[in-house]
Amino acid sequence: MQVSIDSGFSMAQHPSAAISMGELVSRRTSKAPRVTRRRKAGNQDIGLIERLKAGDQAALEAIFNLYSGKLYNVAHRILGEAADTEEVIQDVFWTVYRKAKSFQGNSQFSTWLYRLTVNAALGKIRRSKRNKEVEYEEFLPKFQDDGHHMVRPVVDWSDTLDEKYARRELQELLGQALSQLKPLDKAVIVLSDLEGHSDGEIAASVGLTVSAVKTRLHRARLFLRGKLAVHLGHSAA
Amino acid sequence: MRKRKQAPLLLSAETCKELTELISDYVTGQLKPSLKREFEQHLSICPDCVNFLNSYKKTIALTGALEPTTLPAKVRNNVLDFLRKKMRRIATFLFCLASQFSG
Repeated sequence: MQVSIDSGFSMAQHPSAAISMGELVSRRTSKAPRVTRRRKAGNQDIGLIERLKAGDQAALEAIFNLYSGKLYNVAHRILGEAADTEEVIQDVFWTVYRKAKSFQGNSQFSTWLYRLTVNAALGKIRRSKRNKEVEYEEFLPKFQDDGHHMVRPVVDWSDTLDEKYARRELQELLGQALSQLKPLDKAVIVLSDLEGHSDGEIAASVGLTVSAVKTRLHRARLFLRGKLAVHLGHSAA
Repeated sequence: MRKRKQAPLLLSAETCKELTELISDYVTGQLKPSLKREFEQHLSICPDCVNFLNSYKKTIALTGALEPTTLPAKVRNNVLDFLRKKMRRIATFLFCLASQFSG
């Protein structure tokens, strides 16, 4: 049996590799519609921000209606607390009103909104000093000196997961693991894997280089993978 | 003495460790064609890395399927009330200021 794992590549030896790439990269490969959507949103944003700069208060409510849901989701995933998230959302939109005139349009308006949200959420965590950071090391893959996996064979648990757990349990399990990420990593993974932003957009939103975003994203994904593996009784390595 | 410039390290996918470093770019289709070929060559001889890749992809898929936290109606109303009050206060202040100058 030949199972295609990626375009032009055939996995004759490993039918277990059949997990669909489509399932995984659908957010990133469906770029055309997203770009069109963003462009439309971008044009709409320009109109709204111009109205807001001219002092039209109804424009702020229109911006709130467009973005509050998405920004709330991002802030809540980073903070985990409903009360803190409400404060952050309130601060963000009040800042948008006060600082609308300083928005030059060098980045997308939505990128500015995400940057305000991420900064406000991270600032709240810094000030509260109640962030318990989990050490990643235990959940990252380990290798021998010759570069092979430390624990072999590596088990593919991807298929068994859906059989073992109900959808709700899986969501809780992963949500819990996600909440243990370092705040900035959480922001990066939420913007990437939940919101479908590109690495460049995330870099602009969180104030990192694209390469730093990629590094954080990779480590965060490895950590989440390790947490799931350990939960299933396998080695993270 | 002048230090010689070090040549940049070239990434490869020859070992499982090196492959793991490239896995994120592979699944998001960001690997250069030559590296992608190397990556897939390694996969064709290493079941451990195939299994690792599958579980890595599954993790991303599950993360992407996490249900978004919806904005509660109460929060929505609270924030809108807050914004309206603040904007009204500013509008009143500006109106008073303008009437002082015009009066």
